[in-house]
Amino acid sequence: MTVAATLDVAEIESAIATVDDPEFPGVSIVDLGLLESVDIVGKKVVVGLVPTFSGCPALDVIRQDVVAAVMAMPGITDVDVRFLAAPRWSPERISEAARGKLASEFTVAVQISSRPVVCPRCKGATTEVAAFGPTRCRSVSRCVECGEIVEVVR
Amino acid sequence: MSGVAAGSLSDGTREFLLCLADDEHLMGQRHTEWIGVAPFLEEDLALASIGQDELGHAAMLYELLSGPGRDIDDIALGRSAGEYRSCWLVEQKCPDWSDALVRHWMYDTAESLRWQMFEKSSIDELRGIAARALGEESFHVMHAEAMVAALSLSSDAHSRLAHSIAELLSLGVAMFEAPAGELDAIDDGVVSTSMVTLLPEWQQRVDARFGEQDWAAVDTVHQNGRTTRSDSFAPMYDVMREVLLIDPEAKW
Repeated sequence: MTVAATLDVAEIESAIATVDDPEFPGVSIVDLGLLESVDIVGKKVVVGLVPTFSGCPALDVIRQDVVAAVMAMPGITDVDVRFLAAPRWSPERISEAARGKLASEFTVAVQISSRPVVCPRCKGATTEVAAFGPTRCRSVSRCVECGEIVEVVR
Repeated sequence: MSGVAAGSLSDGTREFLLCLADDEHLMGQRHTEWIGVAPFLEEDLALASIGQDELGHAAMLYELLSGPGRDIDDIALGRSAGEYRSCWLVEQKCPDWSDALVRHWMYDTAESLRWQMFEKSSIDELRGIAARALGEESFHVMHAEAMVAALSLSSDAHSRLAHSIAELLSLGVAMFEAPAGELDAIDDGVVSTSMVTLLPEWQQRVDARFGEQDWAAVDTVHQNGRTTRSDSFAPMYDVMREVLLIDPEAKW
């Protein structure tokens, strides 16, 4: 059986794109910039993901979801998900579409390099109130205009 | 730079990397003890996040040392107490928040210097791990610095911090004692030089932040290349393995 010949990397990427971040239902891990590579090694699909932070507790769930999504494709019998130490993830890897969704549905802003963080609700200026927020990849700011507490992915 | 594959590491180098991995692991465990009981909510979240990062760093290094029949859970929690190689500073319980904060400052200042060495390692994987760890470390150092700086303005807090420094200084210096396998690690190009060469820079930072210390008067702590455990280790070891003892199949 020549499984490898029939596998298409783009199709596998589409399957992985159906996996949402466990904390942001409706936002794909691909849109969050977690997918780094898809390789076909013999009959095995090897998926390389970059975690936001090395100690992220959601990694196991993400791994299981990616394995399930890829294994659901016809002709695939073996999937290996690897979390890569390099490159480093950064908020710049989050797509524009996902940034919009994080803002509109989760009141979550994204820190892009040193650009000021604006309030997802009123577009007002914000100030940081805590460098460490509810998860390792998020700090907490407050909008100086409307008072909204804003989680900031950084 | 052409890299050396992690699979071909010598036993000495593996022992050396285990020392650093165990430092991260135990430091992470100790930080997480503040969850729910830190002096204020933001500090609770900060130490939880920082501890999580340290556990992540440990996991990356354990992964490098893992192989067929020995996964990272086996390495992290499956060893006997005598097989751990942590430095004694990270093993301490530090139930006083001032001690815990000073230890956090001491450790993360040292850890940053250490990871900067690994950024130049001949092992590809280690350079990658170091770059990732350093990105996270910048938050840790920033946090420890900001907290110590803010507290130094109050005379009560200042004297408590001074007391903690005096208590922990010898264990801080002992972080730089040559870990087991260091010579092999240097031979293998994992690091270019001995850990102790980082000590003067660390001492300067301690002096700058906490005032000039009488370094000549600091006791020498004999960790025997980290092959012996401090008294604080045993009770912590039992806590770390609590779940494993109930369910031997549990995964980290």
